[in-house]
Amino acid sequence: MRINCPHCGERSLDEFSYLGDAVVRPDPASPNAQDAFYAYGYERANVAGPMQELWYHAAGCHAWLVVTRDTRTHEISEVKSAQEVALARQKVAGTAQ
Amino acid sequence: MSELANDIKKASLEASERTGLTVTHIAARRGARASLDDVARTAFGVSLPSSPKAVEAQGALIVWTGPDQWLIVQKDETGLDHYAELAKTFNGLASLVDVTDSRTIFRIAVSRPSETLLRSMGIDFHDNSFRPGDVAITHVSHLGVIVWRLPDGTAYDFACARTYSRDFADWLRKTMA
Ligand SMILES: [Zn+2]
Repeated sequence: MRINCPHCGERSLDEFSYLGDAVVRPDPASPNAQDAFYAYGYERANVAGPMQELWYHAAGCHAWLVVTRDTRTHEISEVKSAQEVALARQKVAGTAQ
Repeated sequence: MSELANDIKKASLEASERTGLTVTHIAARRGARASLDDVARTAFGVSLPSSPKAVEAQGALIVWTGPDQWLIVQKDETGLDHYAELAKTFNGLASLVDVTDSRTIFRIAVSRPSETLLRSMGIDFHDNSFRPGDVAITHVSHLGVIVWRLPDGTAYDFACARTYSRDFADWLRKTMA
């Protein structure tokens, strides 16, 4: 498997480490924070199909990436910088308020 | 002669350890990328590369080392403190670390990679893919390296953590043997 790092270009899997599901950490100030964090920590979705995952370009540029990968075929349809994804989410959250 | 230099000499490589340099790592502060670039253009006459490239400017080589991060490699000059100068230039816009003593830079003075070097790299190191001025952060035999091809195409530089320089020299010896 190869990942196309948006900063470095296409690199072999051995340069990356895997964190897991790229779901957003719950808001600790929300009223159901305890349940939300329990679900975040323990109730992992075992997706058969495309899912968004966090990967770290450990032996490269040290950027965190959000990779959309099909768990059945390892086909990667999208790679984005995690920073960009987080900023875009913040923006969406900002306009919703 | 240092043990390392001796090792390199024994292996009769076209490689050498670069000395007499000041190496500074700089990272843009949050939101300061644009102003940092303005300052860099005034000081060096070039923009800081935003892709894996190395640019030469005013005797300094500016090497991209990740998003919003660079290494600035400068030849030592008597009576000049490059690090202090850079700290003054980029004050408030970037975080700077003098990494001169924590990095070893090896130079392979060849204009094109040898067959063995080509095969030893995990990335596409072919003459047509890895062009003069290109930079890659990668690893060789589990040793992290930043490699760049000089903008004038005369050599390849490999920067590794100084702690691993003996191991890196060992890799070079095996690669080039
Ligand atoms: Zn990368």
